[in-house]
Amino acid sequence: MSLLLDAFAALLLLIGAFFYLAGTVGLIRFPDALSRLHALTKADNIGLLSICAGSALMAGELRVALLLLLIWLMALFAATVSAHLIARRSLRDAEDSGADAGKSPS
Amino acid sequence: MVIDVFLALGLVVLAWQALIGGSLFRGIVMFIVFGMVLTLAWAWLGSPDLAMAEAAIGAGVTGALIMIAYWRLRRINAVEPRDPSPARSRLALVIAVLATGLVGAIGLAAVSALTGDATAARVMNETLPDTGLGNPITGVLIVFRNLDTLLEVAVVLAAYIAARAALGRESADLPLPPAPDTPLLTPLVVTLAPLTMVVAIYLLKAGSQYPGGAFQASALLAALGVLLVLTGRVGPAAAANWLTRAGLVIGTLVFCLVGLGMLVIGAPLLAIPGIWAVYLIEAAMMISIGLTLVLLFAGAPGLSGKRS
Amino acid sequence: MNHPEIWMLAAAGLFGLGLYSLIIARHLLRQLIAIKIMGSAVFLVLVVTAGLVDGSLDGIAQALVLTGIVIAVAAIAFALALVVSLAETTGSISLNPDDDDGR
Repeated sequence: MSLLLDAFAALLLLIGAFFYLAGTVGLIRFPDALSRLHALTKADNIGLLSICAGSALMAGELRVALLLLLIWLMALFAATVSAHLIARRSLRDAEDSGADAGKSPS
Repeated sequence: MVIDVFLALGLVVLAWQALIGGSLFRGIVMFIVFGMVLTLAWAWLGSPDLAMAEAAIGAGVTGALIMIAYWRLRRINAVEPRDPSPARSRLALVIAVLATGLVGAIGLAAVSALTGDATAARVMNETLPDTGLGNPITGVLIVFRNLDTLLEVAVVLAAYIAARAALGRESADLPLPPAPDTPLLTPLVVTLAPLTMVVAIYLLKAGSQYPGGAFQASALLAALGVLLVLTGRVGPAAAANWLTRAGLVIGTLVFCLVGLGMLVIGAPLLAIPGIWAVYLIEAAMMISIGLTLVLLFAGAPGLSGKRS
Repeated sequence: MNHPEIWMLAAAGLFGLGLYSLIIARHLLRQLIAIKIMGSAVFLVLVVTAGLVDGSLDGIAQALVLTGIVIAVAAIAFALALVVSLAETTGSISLNPDDDDGR
């Protein structure tokens, strides 16, 4: 039972790491600010959820699991607002310079 | 071993990226990433206290301070020097290689000379339970070597005074970027402000037994202050009101009063009478350091209500 | 901490990089970042040198470095105020803007 739990937790951690990797590859490879944000926010939030779930399983305590859930919700919130601000800013910059919407500012 | 090499190499590469070549903006971003990787390095080396301090202060607050200075310099429209200076690079290379060799030699010699009988730390670990504290670092900071910590709080206060003196009377408050106009900011502030305060107080309380303490808590408060300033919820004031002044000096004052008060009851100077005194001093330090960092970020002598 | 040598080498590299950049950079912000990175290298040396005591890192060295991190941010904040003040009064962000880079 405990072996099965550990294996499942390890699998969740690996899945989380994979999502982070995918998000980072997207951040580096995608051409403009909006699609980079798309890659980063979606993949990283799922990755963090998966890693939090894996850690909670390993800890095996309700208190720790709830704390990890709170951490995930806070990170989700911060990611939402910062992604929103960056997207807004890059749209405005694009409007100012008259270029295509979503072009990276630098 | 693999993770050691990975983190150490990552630090060096990120420092390279932050310092050599590329635009300054890119360098600042790389420097913040460097701080985050250094956070991981502290955690991996076994020091969660340093990891927290590095993440909050080393990467977070320092990064915010450098970013806002960068923004202000762009606004002043000062002449940007071209980096790097080619005239000095050859001599610099020699000096840098020599310095690298020197630090490496000192470090490796120190490691090979490690005898493992760190007497001071061992004695400290043995005496720690008598103080009622569980976190050796808080023990050193507040009980065993608290003269250092008292002076540190005084240095942070001195940095504020010196920064005010450097900026002079004409520029009582430095420019700040306009607050972004988005409906998301109000829920962000309303949610984060109370939560950050709770977490800061928790860190302060937990710091007596577990990793955490006044410095990490003050960095969290400073981060909240920076958020409030950037979102325009708090604005710069041309002069510090009495509340700001009290907040600035309360850390040094409470520390001194407790330390001197010990003389009155016949105990040695700066002795700590009990765990309540640790909490009292740490709470005062948290307020002072956090407020000072926010004021240094805002570049103003004081804070007022809503910024237009 | 099983491999202190790796960290010592990294600290030496960081210190050397920081010093190199401190000399060749002319933008004061870049020079401040260089000083900060040199400081981080020194912190690494301090903590790794102190090593393990009873299975955990030396608490005294950790407290010393924690103090150092806070002092460093106070010093950087003051230095940044000086830089902004310098740029306001002289219009330059460098201590020697007319370095002979024509050669």
